[in-house]
Amino acid sequence: MSADPASQYQPLPMSARPAPAPTPDASEQSNPIRDAIVQAIEAHKLILFMKGTPEAPACGFSARTVAMLQALEAPFAAVDVLPDPRIRQELSALSQWPTIPQLFLDGELVGGCDIVTEMYESGELAQALS
Amino acid sequence: MASAEDIKQRIETAIPGAHADVEDYTGGGDHFRATVTAQAFEGLGRIEQHRLVYAVFGSEIGGAIHALALKTQLPLKIPTTN
Repeated sequence: MSADPASQYQPLPMSARPAPAPTPDASEQSNPIRDAIVQAIEAHKLILFMKGTPEAPACGFSARTVAMLQALEAPFAAVDVLPDPRIRQELSALSQWPTIPQLFLDGELVGGCDIVTEMYESGELAQALS
Repeated sequence: MASAEDIKQRIETAIPGAHADVEDYTGGGDHFRATVTAQAFEGLGRIEQHRLVYAVFGSEIGGAIHALALKTQLPLKIPTTN
C-alpha cells in the first residue's frame, strides 16, 4: 500500500481497552464494547472495521478494501479490530458476519472484501457511495 | 488442516444442489477461495448468500480456516421459449 497523502479517512478514537473483562453472566446486561461498536456504526456514514489501519493494513483483504475506498475518494472512518479480540467477537456477533474487514454504509453491512470487490468492479460501489 | 476437496465436499453436502470450486491459494490448508453455484441462493441478497456458505463452517472461519474468499452465484439458466 502506498501512503495516502490526502488522508481520506477519519481515524476513530475507539478505546482498545474500554472496560474490565466482563464476567460471563454480566455480558448480557452490560456490554461496553458492543455499545461502542453500535455507536461508531451509527455515527459514521461509511465505516470500515479492519485489521490494522488504513496507513498500515495488517491483512491483504483489509488493504484491498481500503485501496478501493481510497480509489473512489470516499471518506471513511476506520476501526482496527486487532488491539482487543473482543472487538472482533462483538462485531461478528452483531453483524452475523464472521470475517474482517466489514464495511458499513448508513448503518448497514455492505459486506467484506469479496462483496466490496464485486461492487467496485461493477460500479455499484461508486453509485452507493455517491 | 483442511484440503480444498474437504471444503468443497462440506459446502456441497450442506447446501443441497450446490456446486463449489475451491482453491487452496496458499497451499497451507487454511486460506481458501471458493466459487459456489447454487439454486438455494435464489431470492437472497449477496450478504445472505455469503452467510449461507459461511454458516457451513461456523466458528472455524477465522479459526482453523483463516480465510474463505467467496463468490456466490445462481446456476446459469438457458432461456427457453415455448
